[in-house]
Amino acid sequence: MSALILISVLAVLVLYLGLYNKKSWLAPLGILGLAGAIVLFATGWHIPHHLLAGMLEFDRFSIGFSIGMAAITLLIFLFGPDYYTRMQQHVAEQYALMLFSLVGGFLLSSYTNMLMLFLGIEILSIPLYVLAGAKKNSLRSTEASLKYFLLGSFATAFLLMGIALLYGLAGSFDLGVISAHIAGAGSSDLVLNFALFFVVTGLAFKVGAVPFHFWVPDVYQGAPTLVTTFMATVVKMAAFAGFYRFIDITGMPDALARIMVLLVLATLLVGNVAALRQTNFKRLMAYSSVAHSGFLLLALLTDTGPGSTVGATLLYYTFTYSLATAGLFVLFTIAKRANNGAEHNGIFQGLFAAKPWLALCGLAMFLSLAGIPLTAGFIAKYQVFLLAIGAGWLKVMGFGVLMALLGIYYYIMVARELFVPAEHPTTFVVTPLNGLVISACAIGVLLLGLWPALMAW
Amino acid sequence: MEDVMTAIRVVPLDHYLILCFLLFSIGMAGAMLRRNILIVIMCLELMLNSVNLLLVAFSAYHGDAGGQVMVFFIMLVAAAEVTVGLAILVQLKRNTEGVDINQLNRLKW
Repeated sequence: MSALILISVLAVLVLYLGLYNKKSWLAPLGILGLAGAIVLFATGWHIPHHLLAGMLEFDRFSIGFSIGMAAITLLIFLFGPDYYTRMQQHVAEQYALMLFSLVGGFLLSSYTNMLMLFLGIEILSIPLYVLAGAKKNSLRSTEASLKYFLLGSFATAFLLMGIALLYGLAGSFDLGVISAHIAGAGSSDLVLNFALFFVVTGLAFKVGAVPFHFWVPDVYQGAPTLVTTFMATVVKMAAFAGFYRFIDITGMPDALARIMVLLVLATLLVGNVAALRQTNFKRLMAYSSVAHSGFLLLALLTDTGPGSTVGATLLYYTFTYSLATAGLFVLFTIAKRANNGAEHNGIFQGLFAAKPWLALCGLAMFLSLAGIPLTAGFIAKYQVFLLAIGAGWLKVMGFGVLMALLGIYYYIMVARELFVPAEHPTTFVVTPLNGLVISACAIGVLLLGLWPALMAW
Repeated sequence: MEDVMTAIRVVPLDHYLILCFLLFSIGMAGAMLRRNILIVIMCLELMLNSVNLLLVAFSAYHGDAGGQVMVFFIMLVAAAEVTVGLAILVQLKRNTEGVDINQLNRLKW
């Protein structure tokens, strides 16, 4: 509870500092508060506790996810002062909105009541609609923001319809009561199947699963890079935490499993194949995000109820994916500035000649996203495939392996650019803090790849 | 309060379900087919309100106040959401001089 209050109050404080134009204080204060929240969460590690009349449950899964999300936000805040150097107005709002959104993420990772699921998703999303449109004079940014808003509200309506139907059937919003009702009902209960379909549709929108992925590339490309980083990392972790809690408590009725298999296959296929033809780096990362959603959904598919290791695998996968993605977006911003705002994949050319250490860090992160052994991405995919074999989804797993191999191709294509000499001279300007963030992400990805036990619980 | 509950229960639950599904479908069709963004936002509100009606009906039939509390939360959040949406729309109007959804075509593939 104290961590939730801390982050909410921190966001209001940051807003107030904005009134007094203390731009240089914003990021340090945010970082201090986030570090405090991480410590507060960590102290509750051994004592699972309930909050708000049992509507939130902080067990190891939710504490792990909350710490992960706060840590990634901290890395993004470290990158913030440099990203916003030229921006003079409304900087405080950016940090504050990200913190508000983070609170929604905490709720999503710990809800045990459908009311909190709804509130969590909305608290997560509404600040993001504003953040995506943060570049007020850019039509692309506005367009991304509006698309995100329209499709996000549409998804919320679906989720709410599902929640209302579940309430009608079970007579309560509590997930325990709902799960007991589902266990008692037959698999041919039409209304129940409709309800589950609606809820899963709403959640699938948020995680960017095919066929509900249309907003992902547009929003990732149009939003400011820092916001894109936040969406690709923290929001993804939160959405999957929310999805997992729903699936874990309701179990996986046959009707739901059939929908999920289709989602997994479509997401893996479209994400990886569409990524092959992307030339804009942000769109490439967007389709990479869709493709990774496919692997994460495959892990969700194998969840058969409480007590499985799916939660730990999800945390490991999303956290290492977020580390690699956050580092690459910082690297992308550096390269984009060196190339006068161009966003194509070729902007990384000449990086190895100019800054060999950064290029090697970038390579490590690309390899991790591709899932090459010795990096965390490999261990993450390996664990997902292991879960799929254990649950008997052999054909789906085979398809997943095939798509993972396809994925290696487009990551290596971009990673190759790091080592190609530049056609025209470019100067990469790297502040010490940015170098620190990139190094931390790359080292984290390698360390977790060599010792996955670091994150086991 | 009890009178209201009985009044709601005069209509069979099936009728509420059918009405709400109809309203939801009309909202969904409008949100997908209409080209004016203001009307799309109105259709989204229609979808949310059909859910509200359904929740109130279920709440009365279950004799449980939880559903009505949820309705309050939905109204609150929908208001916050639409505030942000309209602000974004104003920004779009400033950038493009129009509120037609077909103008949103800069970001593709």
